[in-house]
Amino acid sequence: MAKDVKPTRKNLMEIEDRIELSERGHGTLEKKRDGLIMEFMDILDKAQDVRGDLADDYDQAQRKINMARAMEGDVAVRGAAAALQEHPEITTESKNIMGVVVPQIESSRVSKDLSERGYGIMGTSARIDEAAEAYEDLLESIILAAEVETAMKKMLREIETTKRRVNALEFKLLPDLYDSQEYIEQKLEEQEREETFRLKKIKEKKEQEEKEAREAEADEDDIEIDEADMEPPATGGVPGN
Amino acid sequence: MSQEIAVVGSPEFTTGFRLAGVRRFENVPDDEKESELDDAVTTALDDEDVGIVVMHDDDLDHLSRNVRQNVETSVEPVVVTIGSGTGGGGLRDQIKRAIGIDLMEEDEEEDSDSE
Repeated sequence: MAKDVKPTRKNLMEIEDRIELSERGHGTLEKKRDGLIMEFMDILDKAQDVRGDLADDYDQAQRKINMARAMEGDVAVRGAAAALQEHPEITTESKNIMGVVVPQIESSRVSKDLSERGYGIMGTSARIDEAAEAYEDLLESIILAAEVETAMKKMLREIETTKRRVNALEFKLLPDLYDSQEYIEQKLEEQEREETFRLKKIKEKKEQEEKEAREAEADEDDIEIDEADMEPPATGGVPGN
Repeated sequence: MSQEIAVVGSPEFTTGFRLAGVRRFENVPDDEKESELDDAVTTALDDEDVGIVVMHDDDLDHLSRNVRQNVETSVEPVVVTIGSGTGGGGLRDQIKRAIGIDLMEEDEEEDSDSE
């Protein structure tokens, strides 16, 4: 790139402006990247806790439903499952963490009373209720995990993009600009030196010419004087007449 | 806008969630997972009314490469996997790539130490 730019003072000024802007941007992006990583660490801690709870809840729910299946039979459990009237819903709101929009998920109608579930109390047993309750808890954990994991995914994407930008500035754009700046500065200095040298040469040449002119003039004067000395006086007649 | 939760997996896996009220589910029997699971997951991911897709960790292995990548990177809807593993799926690789350190490895080691 360094060789592509024309070594002019205007280009040098433009490159210096771009360097200033890129350095400022590089600093800001670096700070953003570090900030994002710190925020990400907090979210990661939270995610690990949520994951742990999720695994426990899943084990618990599995145990409960297996028990219900064993005692009541698979058909009864499926029948109860098909009878559910209320369905859990989620609404998403967003929160901004350093420019990254992360969701905040609100859930409704996840935990339900026995009467709200829709399957008859008489036809089912407490084991199915327990399994349903365990799965409702599991859903709560899943919703929390979804919120945290979406935030993590979005933050990771942003960190990656920011990191790429920082690296592009640090290892590609800025070095290229520095090279161009150095190239133009050196070229301009060389031009200046050439100019000084040329002026010196011109001055020398001029002085030489002046000197020669002066010498030539002096020579001409000498010849004229000599010629004047050599000429005989015009007033004198022929001697002896 | 209110959205719903969807569950994709074997009938045994989805029954429990249906008991908790989830009405969007894709039942894929174990012996049809290789051929049917891709379509089921894609349907759930394309559904605009779905905000969260729940899957079992082991089912990820039955997915084709493209669908699996979609599952791992999808944000809307987000896919939550539960089951045997530590979870996160491709998240660990993503963290490794973005931060440069395998942050989840430490925690796993700590867990195994404490056990």
